[in-house]
Amino acid sequence: MLADRPVYVVGIGLHPYQRRSDTTYVALGVTAVRSALRDAEIAWPDVEAAYTGTALLGMGSSRVMLSRLGATGIPMTQVENASASGSSAVAQACLEVAAGRSDVVLALGVDKPRGGLGAAPGQAGIDNLEGGAVVPFTHFALLASEYMHLHGVTAEQVARVALKNHRNGASNQYAQRQKVRTLEEILAEPISGAMTRLQCCPVGEGAAAVVIASEDGIRRHNLDRSRAIRVVASVTRTEGLYDEGVGIDAALTAETGAAAFGEAGIESSDIDVLEVHDAFAIEELLYAEALGLCAPGEAAALVESGEFDIGGRCALSPSGGLLAMGHPIGPTGTGQIAEVVRQLRHEAGSRQQPNARTGLAHMVGIGAVCVVHVLRKD
Amino acid sequence: MTTQARHPHLLKLTDPPIILGHRCTRCRRVAFPPDPYGCEKCGSQHDDLEELDLEAQGTVRAVATVHRHHRASPPTPFTVAVIELVGGPVIKAIVAGGEVRVGVAVTGVLVEDVEDTEGTVMVDLQFQVVT
Repeated sequence: MLADRPVYVVGIGLHPYQRRSDTTYVALGVTAVRSALRDAEIAWPDVEAAYTGTALLGMGSSRVMLSRLGATGIPMTQVENASASGSSAVAQACLEVAAGRSDVVLALGVDKPRGGLGAAPGQAGIDNLEGGAVVPFTHFALLASEYMHLHGVTAEQVARVALKNHRNGASNQYAQRQKVRTLEEILAEPISGAMTRLQCCPVGEGAAAVVIASEDGIRRHNLDRSRAIRVVASVTRTEGLYDEGVGIDAALTAETGAAAFGEAGIESSDIDVLEVHDAFAIEELLYAEALGLCAPGEAAALVESGEFDIGGRCALSPSGGLLAMGHPIGPTGTGQIAEVVRQLRHEAGSRQQPNARTGLAHMVGIGAVCVVHVLRKD
Repeated sequence: MTTQARHPHLLKLTDPPIILGHRCTRCRRVAFPPDPYGCEKCGSQHDDLEELDLEAQGTVRAVATVHRHHRASPPTPFTVAVIELVGGPVIKAIVAGGEVRVGVAVTGVLVEDVEDTEGTVMVDLQFQVVT
């Protein structure tokens, strides 16, 4: 469908990701949307529909925010897919434009932390033997243990993912963590297994917005075609049935990535910038391999040699990733699209990956679900 | 004082302890934990899923020592392992004591929690390294 009726990102805007504060979700959301509209050089009345990705806000948040720009009565829908909520909001916006129902659609991600995630899988009435002792950071600490053992990779090598991402985040005015760190600092403060505090994403709040438009929309509203970035793949998959013990997150990522590459008509070697779900440092290695950027077990060495730095073969997490940019949940997936667009427009300043033309954004969410977008500067 | 399994549908307090999984009578898929709703492989309903005894024996595939926990129990640090049971399913469990490393054999042990205000003692299954 994306091949038949081209879909473009024409505007991006963010509210910085930050620790929980007194800022209301309305202020967060409105800031990001106004910024995206300004960037697109489009007026709010020209937006025909809106999707808000949120995991924690509760019922009915979209109109409360967006009516502050003018109550235009457009269709609005909240979208939830756990950590991938913001990615799914983008996917829905792309679908609506590609389907021809609208020419200009807003995808917004907003969230504020609240005590306890209350996630549905934990309420399904299915128990396990470890009685809640395994929370996400331990799930990934166990994956790190398996990966390190299988491939002879050390804890220091895994920590270099965080070294890179904190360095990138330090140059990102929207990042929650803007501090260059030493390897010693990163290795301190163990949380679980090899995962230390700075190798785990922070809890926070924020907002990210993107404006999606068709060619008709660009033409009708006289938008800047030179800054429009095409969405060439939008794929969502859920966890299948894998062999016992096979890492779910990596297997799901591989399936979703393969479908996205197919839709985009590209190979993994064509990717210049990549934003993935690096909530825990080990994940970046797992997903880089699952997406075919390198062979299993090779990613750690490539991080170490700088191949995944900005300026390397492929910039991995140029925004700072979830580790440094942050993971306020709703905004995260939408914010990744904003970063990839910035990179492909060559407007990323000191974080610019040279000659970036094709980018990929990847998120996973509990359930489990995976959403992958591929973008390209035509 | 009464002793009972915290999860009686997952664990038999026998000696040695038995882990309860299910096997789908239609597609033969063995799974843990036993699903109250249906078979994840073929969609068969709960009635077609039969209870299956699984030995609490296996091999460690991954280990992590946990230093932060949002509840008082278990107290940190504690160690969690991914264990491939001899019967097939791969589970996560707390491993008590011993030198836990990837590749070691582990065996299930019943661990009693402290007696609660009603005089009940909950029993959990943990694993320990086979010496």
